[in-house]
Formats: sequence, structure tokens, C-alpha cells
Amino acid sequence: MQYCSYCKIHIRGNGDKCPLCLNILPDGTSNIVEIYPDIPPSYEQHMATRIAAFISIAAIVASFAMSKLFPALTDWFSFVLLGLVSMWLSLILVVRKRHNIAKEIMWQVTIISLLSIVWDWTTGWRNWSLEYLIPIISVSAMLVMYITAKAMKLSISDYVAYLLLIGLFGIIPILFILFDWVDVKYPSIICVAASAIFLSAVMIFHGESIIIELKKRMHV
Amino acid sequence: MNQKKKVEWTKLDNASKIFPATCSYKDTKVFRFTCELHETVDADILQEALDVTIEKFPLYRSVLRRGIFWYYFESSDIKPVVEIESNPICASIYFKEKKNLLFRVFYYNRRISIEVFHALSDGKGALGFMHTLVSHYLFLKYRDVFAGKIPQLTVNASISEKKEDSFEKYFAGGNVFKAIKEIKSINKNKKAYHIKGTRMEENRIKVIEGSMSAKAVLEEAHSCNTTLTIFITALFMYSIYKHMPALKKDRPVVLLVPVNLRQFFKSETTRNFFSTISIGYEFEGKSADFIDVINSVSASFKKELTEEQMIKHLSRYILLEKNPFTRVAPLPIKDFFIRIANSVNNRNTTAAISNLGRIEMPVEFDDYIRQFSVFTGVIRPQISMCTYKDRLVVSFNSPFGETDIQRTFFNYLTSKGIEIEISTNLP
Repeated sequence: MQYCSYCKIHIRGNGDKCPLCLNILPDGTSNIVEIYPDIPPSYEQHMATRIAAFISIAAIVASFAMSKLFPALTDWFSFVLLGLVSMWLSLILVVRKRHNIAKEIMWQVTIISLLSIVWDWTTGWRNWSLEYLIPIISVSAMLVMYITAKAMKLSISDYVAYLLLIGLFGIIPILFILFDWVDVKYPSIICVAASAIFLSAVMIFHGESIIIELKKRMHV
Repeated sequence: MNQKKKVEWTKLDNASKIFPATCSYKDTKVFRFTCELHETVDADILQEALDVTIEKFPLYRSVLRRGIFWYYFESSDIKPVVEIESNPICASIYFKEKKNLLFRVFYYNRRISIEVFHALSDGKGALGFMHTLVSHYLFLKYRDVFAGKIPQLTVNASISEKKEDSFEKYFAGGNVFKAIKEIKSINKNKKAYHIKGTRMEENRIKVIEGSMSAKAVLEEAHSCNTTLTIFITALFMYSIYKHMPALKKDRPVVLLVPVNLRQFFKSETTRNFFSTISIGYEFEGKSADFIDVINSVSASFKKELTEEQMIKHLSRYILLEKNPFTRVAPLPIKDFFIRIANSVNNRNTTAAISNLGRIEMPVEFDDYIRQFSVFTGVIRPQISMCTYKDRLVVSFNSPFGETDIQRTFFNYLTSKGIEIEISTNLP
């Protein structure tokens, strides 16, 4: 064991300095059993994220400058801004929820639906978001959720709450029909019908699991 | 089609609720127990020992999940796996969306360590786990030696006793508004002195572990007419004071001391069952003599460490937890307020010190174990200590690179003729 004559302490391990006074120790003995492993730094900050962030900011600034230089052209600035906001929102969600696939699907469906409405609205409200996109995405999400759960062998308690949520989400297009928000009605009708069937299946086959899950997740 | 395996779930106890809300990559709320043997650890046997141990501590199989209103533990069938030490000391264990166990077991050369997320267990609780793990390890490793005579394990409690929420059992509420008022008035204290320093790379913790003879330190404490805990607490305060910048000397030095409630209320739980007391000393206008610091600390301990004080203190928190307004607030809102309360608390604290006390192992293991140590993930300097036989290990955990306080602390002890062995994780 090494000895620091300044601090009057014995030093274990293979360091060449006294941990307390940081003075150099006389010749280190070499065959000492290390007490702590040397742990290399982990570079958490990904280069890819930084590059993407940089490109995003550059694109926003450039498109803003363009719109000032050539005001007559299409409004590129809004497009770029909205595009990037959509991209980042989705990406952040993908990364943050990556450990819970069912939750991930639910969040993506919600965010894509909301964004589609915003896009539709900024590009002159041609109503494609309500008429086609939301019904289609709801039905596909139900399928995807079910297939993923089976393929990944998730336990029922992990996804049953999200099955319920996605089923309820698919019922929403009934409002589009009732309030006459859509002209092309068949996608909404199919979506609502499919969701109703889906929901009833979930309730009948997984009713107990749902009750257990709700009790657990909602205990006060 | 479906595995109809019943998933069990458990509410968090009162103290546990703080940790998931306030943990971050800087303040991981993780602590570590290490047992150093005289021989290199055998990974396969450690795994075998872990497999037996986990059966006796079912709550350690839990994952932590977020409900709408509260966090909860959910039983899982994840099998804990022994690894070689490869993470910085007390690295994060709990990640919001991840379903993983809330502890890890690893080894390095002669050391067996466990790291535990504080929501799962407090020091005393985790020590039970550590005790069982090391006992099984030694017993399996040296089965020829112990053939026939199995050493009696000192941790002996039923599964339900180990899983008990002792806060629920012992504390009742009172008046909510009075409680809030009292907590507010406590927090109106003068802002405590804060130790500043250079953070380590990646927010790592610098540990300086001093191992010494418990008897020698105890004799020193007795010569000052006090106990070991009070002696070390006072010495820590005194060392902090020695390095306070002149401009900040008007601030009190306040140490947070966790208190194991099992000494007041009978409980065998391996979950959280602790409270904290604050021990302060204002050096400005008072004597800075070490013996005067000891006397003041001793008086504060006497005043704070009573059953009535504990009941009073804890009932307030139980009340805050149990009142209907808190209960129906969604989890993110609760988390937000807990974080605010936590930062107010931090404002009133200079450092912390926790003494895990004496670790008892069957005498048959005497020849195999060198020492036990305990470490904590910290955002401010903290001392954690424990004693095994005659080995008192005082670990200085600090987020800062500076070692002045540590030097003053250990130099005081060496100046009294106590032999100290120092080791550090970041030389």
C-alpha cells in the first residue's frame, strides 16, 4: 500500500497521486488489486441530433430570408417551419416513448391526426384530413397495434389500455358525420363501424383485464 | 392465447413517492452497498446467490410505473443478472418509460456491490438484501467448509413483513391546513451555506473512501464525551466551516441526517421507513472550537431524535399525501409540486450525513469479509458510513472535484493517531 507522508494516510489502488492533497506519490507499486474499474466516458450527445438541429435552423433562416427577398413566390417559410415542427414532434415522441410500443403507436396516431388538420388548414382546407386521413389512420392503427402486440408477445396488461384508447379514438369520426363536416362520408362510416366492432371485441374478450388495468392505473 | 398470469401491484409508501418525481441524471437517487472480500469474486456463484436471494425479496422483482394519479410498483418476471462493474458510481436506474428492475448487482475484483433506486428501499432495507446476498454467496462458495452447519442468517422476517408499508401502519393525519402552515414556517429558516465546486465530467460522483479502526474513532469520540455519529457529524461541519469563503460565513451550515424509523417503531420492512432531521450550526458569532460544535450538535440530536418529534414530522407528510386534493391531482402536477418542495429543501441544506451503523454478519464469515462500504448518488457533498467488525468506512461522496473538505476531515483523524486507508474511484 502506498503512503502519503504529507497527509499521513495509506492509499489503496494504483493511483499515482494522493487523492486528498494531489501530491505525486513515491513510486507506485504495480501489482495491486484495483478497487474501482476505470470507466470510460459515454458520449450521450449524438452527433446526428446536432447535425439535424443545425440543418433545421439553417433551413428556417434561409426560407425566411427567401420569403423577404422574393415576396411573390410561394410562402416557403410557413411550409418549412411547419414541416420541421412536424418532423421534430414525431421524432421526439418516437425517441421518448421507444420503450413502450403501444403507447408509441397511440401518441403517433394522435400527433399525426392533429398535424394533418393543421397542414390541411394552412394549405387551403381541402378537407382531406377529416375525410380520408384520420379515418384511414385510425383503422390502420388498430390493426398495427393488434399485430405488433401479438408479434412482440406483449403481455395483455401492457397494451389492453391502449387497445381501448385506440378503439375510442376510432369512434371520433362519428362527429364528422353528425356535424356534417365531411362531404365524402364512406371512410368515416367504415372507420366508426370498424372501431365499434373492435371495441366490443376488446370489451368481451379482455373486459377483466381492462378493469384490473384501470384500477391499477387510476388508484387515488 | 394469453398467459393469464396475474400481475400484482403495490402502492408506493410515503417517502418513496418523492424519488421518482425528483430523480434526474444529475441527482439519481441511487445508493450503493459494497462488500469487499479477501478473495476475487466468482461471478457464477454470485449469480446463483442472487437467484436464491431474489426469491426472498419479492418486491425487488418490481418495476416502477406511472398511473394517472400515482406511481406504483408492478411485479415482473425479469430475472436480475449479475454483471461486472461498468457504470459510474450510482448511475441512473429509473427511466420513465423503461420497464426495468430498480436495482443492480455487480462485482469487480474482490468487491460485490448492489445499487438500489431509493423508491424501492432505504439503506436499512437494502442492507437486508445485501446481507442475504453475501451470506448466500459465501455459503455457496465455501460449501465444503460450512458442510452441515449452515450459519444462521440474521435477517429473518416473513415476506409480508418485508413488504409492509410501515408509514401506513404507524402514522395518522390531523389538520391539513395546520400541517401546511407548519411546513411553511420550517422552510422560512435562513438560507443554508452551499458548497461550491467544479462538477465532475458527466456529473459523475467522486468517492473518497476512508477505512479505519472503529474502536480508535470511538475512543476519540468518547474522549470528547460523545457518540460516533455525533462526533463524525460535528467533524464534517467543522471541516466544511474551515473552507467557507469569508463572504459566506454568515450562513449556517446545515446537515441533513436520515433517521431509520425502525429504531422507534417496530418494523421488518425492506421498503422505505426513514425520516430526516436537520442539524445546523451558525459559526458566525459563535465559537468555532471543535468541542463547542460537538456540544451544539449533540444538543440538536437530543432535541430532534425523539419519538414525538418523528410522529409530529411524519404526520404532516402523511397528511399532505392523504388529503383528497392531493389524491385527485394528476401525477404530472404532483411531480411538479414535489420538485418545488424538493428544491426549497435543498436550499436549506448544506450537506448530508448518514450512518448505516453496525453491519452484523454471522461470525463464521469473519475470515472472508474485509469490509462493507456505502455510497450515495449526490448533488452536494455527503458522508455515508457503516461499520463491520472493527472496520469503520467513511465514504465522502461529492459531485465536485475539489477535495479540501475531505482532506481537512481525514487529516483531523490522522492527527489524533488514527490510521486511515484511502481509496478513490477517480484518481
